Amino acid sequence: MIYFDNAATTLIKPENVRRAMYSAIGKLASPGRGGHSAAMAAAEKAYECRNVAAKLFGVPEPERVVFTMNATHALNIAIKTLAHKNDRVVISGYEHNSVLRPLNAIDAQVCVAASPLFDEDAAVYAFNEALKTGTKLAVINYVSNVFGYILPVERIAELCKAREIPFIIDASQGAGVLEIDFQRLGADFIAMPGHKGLYGPQGTGILLCGRSGEPLIEGGSGSDSRLPTMPEYLPDRLEAGTHNMPGIAGLLEGMNFVSRLGEKRIFRHERELLAEAVKQMRELDEVEVYSGENMQRQSGVLSFNIKGLDCQSAAAKLAARDVAVRAGLHCSPLAHKTAGTEQGTVRISFSAFNTRREVLQFIGEIKSIIHATRCNRGNSMI
Amino acid sequence: MVHYIIICRSLTYAQRTAKVLERAGITAIVMRPPEDIAGEGCSYGVKLRQRNLTQALKLLKDAGMSHGKVYLLRPGGSVEVEE
Repeated sequence: MIYFDNAATTLIKPENVRRAMYSAIGKLASPGRGGHSAAMAAAEKAYECRNVAAKLFGVPEPERVVFTMNATHALNIAIKTLAHKNDRVVISGYEHNSVLRPLNAIDAQVCVAASPLFDEDAAVYAFNEALKTGTKLAVINYVSNVFGYILPVERIAELCKAREIPFIIDASQGAGVLEIDFQRLGADFIAMPGHKGLYGPQGTGILLCGRSGEPLIEGGSGSDSRLPTMPEYLPDRLEAGTHNMPGIAGLLEGMNFVSRLGEKRIFRHERELLAEAVKQMRELDEVEVYSGENMQRQSGVLSFNIKGLDCQSAAAKLAARDVAVRAGLHCSPLAHKTAGTEQGTVRISFSAFNTRREVLQFIGEIKSIIHATRCNRGNSMI
Repeated sequence: MVHYIIICRSLTYAQRTAKVLERAGITAIVMRPPEDIAGEGCSYGVKLRQRNLTQALKLLKDAGMSHGKVYLLRPGGSVEVEE
């Protein structure tokens, strides 16, 4: 299989991830739930994972690294800590439903700072206009999961800080690919999944905390057990219930993999694949590619459509040829509305394990689909 | 051998405390304290030898790390000590 659905989940993991998870199942109990060797071994592994994350993302203390189930869980904690009913919340035009739905659930007053694809200055201008007095929160998507558009998160963060508006960064597509300096960005929270660019398993996520948060769920924390409430301190306050130790052990190895290679190298590799794909696809009249002129603000995520073929049918034809892509709205209807692609797109997304050869094979399959469709329609694609 | 335990507000904080001490060559073991000094229950502490206590507390102070009470660990019951 050619696996180009890494923006959803990096399916191919470093071998150490698999090994660590297998080992964890037999050896690691629950951190904070005992003083015996298996509990303490789990505690040591969890601490090591927090520490590696803290170093990778410039977090001053490992306690500020909170384990979650995924980025959605992390975003829910962050959003519901900082925003409440009728609060004015400014978001980018490229937010995922993991931001939109929690905001809708709390009945926040959402203001979309919409701007065209791949236009950095326009994005900053839109936020500058939208961040009016009375704004309680801003949420910034680091990289669009649909288009790979890298938003100017540092410039927008500066706007928020200058106006003392709390802000959350959704780094779901940026973590592991782009450098993230938590302290320099000064965010209140940064949310990320473990199973995408950090090469950990599904069911893992991280919330980097610039402040304490409100628990989404309450329960055992292995600390201050006589209190009827969750502890005040991190990470215990936001980590009720038994930890996913096989997941954490795998995530640790995934982050070690990213640390060894370095985000710059991974980004450069994915960008080379992107450039090859864009170049080849732009030569095909039947393909509409959503990419900037020089791809300056794009990661290894690319949306496209084949003219005369709806995105789901195109993805199904690719799946039949053993090419895994994603089609539709990608849980981001707002991004499609902002970009004017409300009919949906086909998305390919790369990882460190993809190759140029796979890109060329993929292009061959696209040509084959175009040819087959043309033949079926008497030489016309429209 | 006489041991002391430095109470920490969380497991993670106890682990960070132990790492600071270990980097300075002090053997520090993260453990659950006896129930009589467990505060609100299920707390954690860092156990170390008597001879290392003064240096350990200074190291923590220099590192800007706060900590809870310090106890002398004894079989018949722990005794809080003045820092």
